[in-house]
Amino acid sequence: MKQSFVFSGSGGQGIMSAGITLAHTAIDMGKHSTFLPEYGPEQRGGSAKCTVIISDCDIVSPLPKKCDTLIAMNEQAYNKFIDDVKEGGTVVVNSSRVTDIERQDVKTISVPVDDVALELGNEKVANTVIIGALIGATGIVSKDAVIASLEDKFKAKSPKIMELNIAALEKGIALGKGAAE
Amino acid sequence: MEKRFMKGCEAIAEAAVRGGCRFFAGYPITPQNEIPEYLSKRLPEVGGAFVQGESEVASINMVYGAAATGTRALTSSSGPGISLKAEGISYLASSQLPAVIVNISRGGPGLGSIQPAQSDYLQATKALGHGGFRAMVFAPATLQEAVDLTYDAWEYAERDKGPVLILMDGCLGAIMEEVELPEMKEISYANTEDWCLARVNGREESHMITPILPELGLEMLNRFKGMTYKMWEMTDVKVEEYMLEDAEYVVVAYGIAARVAKEAINTLREQGHKIGMIRPITLYPFPKASLDNLDYDKVKGIIDIEMTIPAQMRDDIELQVKGRCPVHEYGRSGGILLDDEGVLEAIENIVKGEA
Repeated sequence: MKQSFVFSGSGGQGIMSAGITLAHTAIDMGKHSTFLPEYGPEQRGGSAKCTVIISDCDIVSPLPKKCDTLIAMNEQAYNKFIDDVKEGGTVVVNSSRVTDIERQDVKTISVPVDDVALELGNEKVANTVIIGALIGATGIVSKDAVIASLEDKFKAKSPKIMELNIAALEKGIALGKGAAE
Repeated sequence: MEKRFMKGCEAIAEAAVRGGCRFFAGYPITPQNEIPEYLSKRLPEVGGAFVQGESEVASINMVYGAAATGTRALTSSSGPGISLKAEGISYLASSQLPAVIVNISRGGPGLGSIQPAQSDYLQATKALGHGGFRAMVFAPATLQEAVDLTYDAWEYAERDKGPVLILMDGCLGAIMEEVELPEMKEISYANTEDWCLARVNGREESHMITPILPELGLEMLNRFKGMTYKMWEMTDVKVEEYMLEDAEYVVVAYGIAARVAKEAINTLREQGHKIGMIRPITLYPFPKASLDNLDYDKVKGIIDIEMTIPAQMRDDIELQVKGRCPVHEYGRSGGILLDDEGVLEAIENIVKGEA
């Protein structure tokens, strides 16, 4: 089983970080994974995209044309990559910024991740909320494995950051599950 | 063996340190900046030296100087920067100094684009600098292969006293995959006496390193180099031959292009198409025999797939095919990546057109 995920949005939204977290978690769970970032010369505000592949076997090509799942953090990214989703695939959208849902032949999971992050007290955790929504809707990796991966990532930071991210992840999972039903 | 989930550039940098690299000089350019960034922190940890040079020219000449001391030295850049280093690389060849150069290639020609491309095959294999020398060129397709080839690159550079090039596109430079890292090598200066400036192994005189030689000396050096390149063809060719036994079409591709092509071949095989692949791992010495020895009663066509337009490897392929079957090519360039669907369709079209 090989699955491809495209995370997209703009520089500063934590797109690359979310992609690396998913790939890292998959590897910790004993799967194979690749993470490929693509970005323009801008540091902030420009378009950001990364492709994550998760597979039970060795990954031959890391360059699929179409993905199984698109994660779109803003409208520009949604419009740019929505046609690259396979028929019957899944699209997880940040409904705080994406309102026009075009395709009806894919499963759309709408979660207002910016609003959720603000409610939790920090807009920076929006990307953790969307990882939660993704796993709540698809179950691609386990919650515990994501927490372990986040712990590794934030080990040098204050425990508060980890608490905030766990809250963001749990909220995302609940909303993702709800939206998928 | 230690397993780590790493970015391509960082995996190369760590493998270099474990392979004995203790000096790096370079100048920033996308998409290889993670190599110097990583080494600026890592080299001091192992007693090595990191220099961000004032230019590419200065950096390659610092590598020349470090190599002359017997230190395992590295520089890295991308196409435009490798062009600037060309003079220094040629001097390394003429002075018979070992060093490793990494090119994480991007779209070209000129300043090109910062996005990935396989645009430097010709530069790497035919003229890495002036004067007609060659460097061994390694072209890994996975990060594990990049780690393994980088780890041993100085063994080749020191054996043959000259530069070795690692050529990898920006896509593999940026990708993250799991790699197994080898143990740290014990570095010995005992075998550096052939080229090292200092008095090694009780040698009484310093070894003179000069980039200028009298006519006869220079001709002798060139004859010796010619013999070395012949030896490489016999002993050092690295190639992956994939499903060639019954192949009616043979893809030739290296690096990232070979991975995309292999995915397409696997799909086409399931549909009953007899397609195989030759993947050069050393671009120089080129795996001539793999192509020359194909059964041309069976093979109906060769398909050269590269992430560059026009295909650059094609001349080397045609020299071995010798007109025994048609040679086709497919590529993308300018920073537009090859993708599974595009490559699959290109191969399908070629196979259908011929059948």
